[in-house]
Formats: sequence, structure tokens, C-alpha cells
Amino acid sequence: MPIEVKGLTHVYMPGTPFEARALNDVSLSIRDGEFIGIIGHTGSGKSTLIVHLNGLESSSPGVVFVNGVDLGLKETDLIAIRRTVGLVFQYPEYQLFEETVEKDVAFGPRNLGLSEDEIKARVADALRMVGLPQDVAGKSPFELSGGQKRRVAIAGVLAMQPSMLILDEPAAGLDPAGRREMLELIKGVHDTGVTVVMVSHSMDDVGRYCDRLYVLNRGEIAWYGTPAEVFIHEEQLHEIGLDVPECAKLARRLRKSGFDIPEGLYRTDDVCEAILRNLRKGSDATC
Amino acid sequence: MLKNITLGQYFPGNSLIHRLDPRTKLLATIALIAIVFVAQGFSGFLLLAGFVVACAASTGIHLKFLVRGLKPLMFIILFTFILNLFFQTGGTVLISIWIIRITSNGLRMAGFMAARLILLVLSSQLLTLTTSPIALTDGLETLFRPLQVIGFPAHEIAMMMSIALRFIPTLMDEADKIMKAQKARGADFETGGLIARAKAMVPLLVPLFVGAFRRAEELALAMDARCYRGGKGRTRMKQLKFQGIDGLAALVIAALLAAVILLNRLNLF
Ligand SMILES: Nc1ncnc2c1ncn2[C@@H]1O[C@H](COP(=O)(O)OP(=O)(O)O)[C@@H](O)[C@H]1O
Ligand SMILES: [Mg+2]
Repeated sequence: MPIEVKGLTHVYMPGTPFEARALNDVSLSIRDGEFIGIIGHTGSGKSTLIVHLNGLESSSPGVVFVNGVDLGLKETDLIAIRRTVGLVFQYPEYQLFEETVEKDVAFGPRNLGLSEDEIKARVADALRMVGLPQDVAGKSPFELSGGQKRRVAIAGVLAMQPSMLILDEPAAGLDPAGRREMLELIKGVHDTGVTVVMVSHSMDDVGRYCDRLYVLNRGEIAWYGTPAEVFIHEEQLHEIGLDVPECAKLARRLRKSGFDIPEGLYRTDDVCEAILRNLRKGSDATC
Repeated sequence: MLKNITLGQYFPGNSLIHRLDPRTKLLATIALIAIVFVAQGFSGFLLLAGFVVACAASTGIHLKFLVRGLKPLMFIILFTFILNLFFQTGGTVLISIWIIRITSNGLRMAGFMAARLILLVLSSQLLTLTTSPIALTDGLETLFRPLQVIGFPAHEIAMMMSIALRFIPTLMDEADKIMKAQKARGADFETGGLIARAKAMVPLLVPLFVGAFRRAEELALAMDARCYRGGKGRTRMKQLKFQGIDGLAALVIAALLAAVILLNRLNLF
């Protein structure tokens, strides 16, 4: 089991009036090659959860295993863990610091102590993977557009060649086109065999790409399962400030008003097909 | 968010001391510090210590947070204590080893100085623990306003202070985030020699400064958009007003001063 979390509880500033219980008894397990979505309202603990997954934070009670290694143990080599589990923070473009894109992307590989040739190859690979032309390599990251900066930052993590990639709201603040491109980029990374965990609060996004979802609410896992299994709870999701994809809503309403639409549909294509089937049946009956 | 209004110290609450006007608290703290210097003996210190602890207790703030403020000054307090212990002469000799002589006067003086320092720190702690930074700058601004006639920029300084205070937690948050992000890329902030560590700070400091400038620009724009043009003719939504408890506080401080002077006269210990 690549990532296994058991009974994780995290309290910020314990013992002060600002004490905040961000995670409460959270357990989850992520298998090789999965595309996992973590969704929840703002403040539900998503960001707190993911910084535990590569040992940047540790809390008790609770254990986190990465490939069977307990991150809470003193002797655990956290550098090795961070090379396995790549973590892209929210708004990662604000972490760029080098003079050139190339140098910035090379920061991670260089920290791993790789040879210059290897670093060069990885930087080129990573830039290609995020869809940036090679000629930006020599530019200053600060003169790029917002979307391009974000790609550079993601390339900086990809250059460490992690086998698991965790992204905190990678599409936040992008325009619809940029959003789709970003998500396609992540899907492309997943297609190369990387396990992906994506934090989001857009049900449309996670519905389209994820194999399984975990829904966080006030630091606890409220539901988990395939998107179809999660989207069944439409009303309860609404109560905790989340929405289901538009198509799932439409399918549900049609089903309620008597159309023959199977439960748990949420993909646009599936819903379209079900509606078409109904229409055809309808026209057969009238003819 | 709650954490955004914390600055190192401030503990929100609704006690009598919390509700005092910030100007009262500022003046009372200055008076308290003066009284600490007025006190000539341990009896006075004991009274003042009792007063500070009682005040702290009435605010509901755990004593450990009051004491925590002493930590960064421990070295200075200890240094003063030792210096006085060894270099004050007079009185009976208590211990005499080689060239080191500890006299009764030395011991008394050392204890006296250390107690004074501790009391000074605790008194000012009481102010910062119970007053929000914003209230504090408001108080400072009004107290310094009379100096505006000689050209002292009271409003501007207060505005700068409150902006700085407002952004300290934000920047600390950001520093924490950037540090984590660079650690996720294998950065190492903890090991290595001085130069290696200073170098390791670059990936933290560059984004932090870039972010600070970005925020400053945004804030300037936002203030401009709302027609900010300095303190001239500016009114405030929350007017500071002295109330009954402020008068009470003044009385208590006056009584404290009288008691300390009395104790000095009595010359108990
Ligand atoms: N550094 C911090 N200090 C104190 N409280 C925090 C800190 N970071 C987050 N929190 C609190 O923990 C809770 C979860 O936050 P977070 O994990 O950032 O949620 P999300 O990413 O889902 O928006 C929130 O209530 C937040 O106020
Ligand atoms: Mg978050």
C-alpha cells in the first residue's frame, strides 16, 4: 500500500485560545497507480492532511506509512520519502526563487545530489511534461505569466521523478481554459504511471479525473469511494458546502421525474447516452 | 481567521483589564514601570509582584504565558545577577574563595536587580498579553497626537505600525509555507555550517520578499482606491473613550504608588 494513514489527528496551537482541530481521526489508503481526489470545503483540513503525507508535519495520535515505512519514526529518511512523494503546494508559483527557469527546476534534483548531466536531462524532461517550450528555460521565472509560473513550479517537483504526486488545488485561480489544460497535464503525468492525489473543491474536476474520492468535512472523512458512490449523497454534500457535478444533478432530477436513468451517473457522456436512450424509447412508443 | 489577529502574545479575552482603554493601559504600564524604580526594598517588590500576578490571574491568562516572556531575557537577568553578586562590596563576607568574595551586600544587590528586571518584564507582558496590537497602536496614536503640533507624524507612524503588525502573522504563515514547499523539494534548512545555512535561506527569502512587495503594492492600490490620503481630516469608526473602569485603574495605580512609598519609609526589608 503506497500511502496508508491511520487515525491521524492534528491540532494547531494546542493549549492556546487559538487551538484548532484541523484533522480528527483520519484514515485513508491509496493504492499504486490510483488517481485520488480529496475534496472539502475551505478549512476542512485538506492542506493539513497532505503535508503529513511526505513527513513535513507529523502528529500524534496517528500513523502515516509510505510504501510500508512509518514516517513518524526517528530513523526514517525523510529526504528519501520526499523524493518518492512529490508535493505541489497551493499557488506553487509563489515559491520560485532562481534567476532562470532551468535553475529553479534543477533545485530539487540538485538537492538529491545527482550529476549535472542527469540534472540537465531531468529538467528538460520535466519542462516537456508540463508543456513548456524549451526556450523558456533561460528566462527568469518572474517574467512568465501566472499559468506558466505554475507549470514551472510543478516541473520543479516532477524533476525529482516522484512515484507519487500530490497537488493542493492545482487549478485554483486559473481561467477555464487554463484549468482544463492544468488538469490534462496532471492526467498526462498520471498516465505515465505516477500515483496522483489531487486536492480540490470542484466536484466537476474530481468527478472527471479521479478513480476514488475522499470527502473531508471539519477534519473528518465524511464519505469515500468512487465518484458515483460519493455523488449519491447529493443533499448531504450540499449541506457541507459542496456540490455534485452538473451532469449528476441533471441525471438525478430526470430519474426522480420518472425517466429510466440508472443511479450513479455523473460523466457527461454517460448521462447524454442515457438521455438519448430515453428519447429514442419515447419516439419508438409514439410512432 | 483567528490566527491572523495573534501577534506573538495577544490573548483575547473579556476581563476587566482587557476592557480598559488602551491609553489607560499604556499609561498605567509606564506608571507601573516607574513604581518599580521607586521601590527601594523587597517588601515593595513583593507587593508589586503580588499585584502583577493578581492582574494576570484576573485576565484568565495562564501564568505560564506570563513567565514565558522572561525566557528571552533570562540571559540578561542572570548576567546582572552574577555581576552584582561578585562585584558589590560591603557588608559581611559570606563566601570567600581565592579572589572571589561574595558579600551580603552583593547578594542583596544581585537579588534586588534581578527582581527589578523580572518585574519590569512582567509588567510590560501584562500590557501586550491583554491588548490587541491594533488597540495598542490606536492608543499610541492618540497619546502622541499632541506632538503633531511640533511636526511629529503620529498618524503616519501609527498607520505604519498597524500595517506592519497586521502583516507579521501573514508573512510568518507564508514563510512557513515556502519553507515546507522547498523542503518538499529536498531543501535542507537545518544542517551544515554557517555559510551553508545562510545559502539555504535564499530559496526562502527570495519568494518571501517578492511576496512582501507584491502585498505592499496591492495594499497601496487598495488604500488609494479607497481615497486614503493620510491622517488629515480623518475620523475613526471606533472612538476611544475613557470609562469608569479607567478611572478605577488610575486610582489603583495611585494607591499602589502610595503603598510602595509607604513601604520604602517603613524600611521593612
Ligand atoms: N498554521 C495554522 N495555524 C493555526 N491554524 C491553522 C493553520 N493552518 C490551518 N489552520 C486551521 O486548520 C483548519 C484546516 O485548515 P486547512 O488544512 O488549511 O484546510 P483546507 O486546506 O481544507 O482549506 C482550518 O480551520 C484552519 O483555520
Ligand atoms: Mg488548503
